[in-house]
Amino acid sequence: MKRTDLSANNISKCFLQPGEDRLLYVLEDMDFEIKEGEFVTILGPSGCGKSTFLNILAGFETANQGQTFCCGEPIKGPSPERAVVFQSPVLFPWMDVKSNIMYGLKQVGKKKGEAQKITAEYISAVGLEGFENYYPCQLSGGMQQRVALARSLILNPKVLLMDEPFAALDAQTRYSMQQLLLRLWESNRQTIVFITHDVEEALLLSDRICIMSKRPGRIIEEISVPFEWPRPISLTGSGDFSQLKSHILSILLD
Amino acid sequence: MHENNGRLGFTGLILPVALFTIWYIATLDGGVPAYLLPSPLALALAVIDFTAGSERLGPYSGTLLVHTIASVQRVFTGFGLAAAIGLPLGFLTGRLALAKSSLDPTVHLIRIVPGIGWLPLAMVWFGVGEKTTVFLISLAAFFPIYVNAAQGAASVSPLLIRAGRMLGANNLTIFTTVIIPAAMPSTVAGLRLGLGLSWAYLVLGELTGVTHGLGAVMMDARMLGNVEMILVAMIFIGLFGRISDLILVGSFRKLNLLKRGYEE
Ligand SMILES: Nc1ncnc2c1ncn2[C@@H]1O[C@H](COP(=O)(O)OP(=O)(O)O)[C@@H](O)[C@H]1O
Ligand SMILES: [Mg+2]
Repeated sequence: MKRTDLSANNISKCFLQPGEDRLLYVLEDMDFEIKEGEFVTILGPSGCGKSTFLNILAGFETANQGQTFCCGEPIKGPSPERAVVFQSPVLFPWMDVKSNIMYGLKQVGKKKGEAQKITAEYISAVGLEGFENYYPCQLSGGMQQRVALARSLILNPKVLLMDEPFAALDAQTRYSMQQLLLRLWESNRQTIVFITHDVEEALLLSDRICIMSKRPGRIIEEISVPFEWPRPISLTGSGDFSQLKSHILSILLD
Repeated sequence: MHENNGRLGFTGLILPVALFTIWYIATLDGGVPAYLLPSPLALALAVIDFTAGSERLGPYSGTLLVHTIASVQRVFTGFGLAAAIGLPLGFLTGRLALAKSSLDPTVHLIRIVPGIGWLPLAMVWFGVGEKTTVFLISLAAFFPIYVNAAQGAASVSPLLIRAGRMLGANNLTIFTTVIIPAAMPSTVAGLRLGLGLSWAYLVLGELTGVTHGLGAVMMDARMLGNVEMILVAMIFIGLFGRISDLILVGSFRKLNLLKRGYEE
């Protein structure tokens, strides 16, 4: 039996509506669980509370009700064992690629020589050799997101939380980033929670898909993705794939 | 941007050349008398004499260095004090609600009185000269430094802070590795404003009566009816103001606090 890495029990979250005295219920009685090494996508309509939920798992925000655990411990705040990749890269604009990627290692007190060695490995893992000294504003969107991925993975996190990380990329770049992520996942087997609103992306990447309802959000259906690895792009043309896709879409559009 | 600069360089020359020509013609024999406005040549000689002492024109021959050292020291001390107090207080005010609510109202209250308004009180407290000058400089330079550091620290994107947090930074290192660098462009803008004001208040303070300093030269020269020297001192104050600004910006760039990619 694999260990449960992350769990959320009965989470509710509301915000004060700006300019009004009313509360906006964003998440209501949400339950979620993910096992060690599992890749789960969360699909849901825009505004249903996906980012809010991920922020709670990351420890950036706290739920109004319910509990969240990581490896059995209650989540109290952000931690490098739960690395986050945001929708926009959120790199430090005053640091070059190398320093951005090395940032976490410095924070956890790695020795300089070793940190540089590990950084070089990750730079080549995400295919950014030759761009070490570039600044974020000198990189394309896809390259920036590679830097964001590398700086999160370099701390060898147990859990990777990704909030629509490829949504802003063009189709080709998105595909190559998906492949990169799968390669890195294959070798390290992090536990990944991946948020998307793209059904094909969910089907191509994950072991399991959780579908959220409209706001207030909670998980209304879970689907185990039956396709074998590796999943070539031609899979998207197969009958099983389109059947599952239309099934998911019909739930989302309900 | 570059194209724009180029055009400015050309059209920008027209006015100074015209002014210079008018100045030259106006100060020819029979024009504006020399005790009101010296000719370009007389001014150039005065500059050379002040710098090198070669012309033996009077009491100011070759005294540039002495006066400059005195003035630069005052600016350095006053500006340094303003930065040493303004930066930490500004950063704290920008990030901590408690610091903001306890400091900000008082600071802005004090700020209502223009710096010049402090001159008589400063003279009572510190006497004429040295201390008054340094006090006025620090006071004037403090506000833009404080306000801009606070503004910069307050407007750091919360996402950058989250990124730092999830990569393992603690309260202190978030401050040193995220907030301060992210606040740098605004902070440096404040320091530059403060430095500019420092030179302005240097002149004000030195006019009250110090023996050495570029402001003192201006005041003495006025009493001696030596209008060249007033202009010469003005030129050097402008020049040193500009140089000190270049040094300030240059040193931040050297320290890698204003990296190239960051200013764009
Ligand atoms: N800090 C906040 N204050 C008020 N409302 C918020 C805040 N954060 C998110 N919301 C609201 O919560 C809802 C869900 O937001 P979000 O989790 O970002 O949705 P999703 O990521 O699924 O598109 C939205 O209606 C949004 O306006
Ligand atoms: Mg979102």
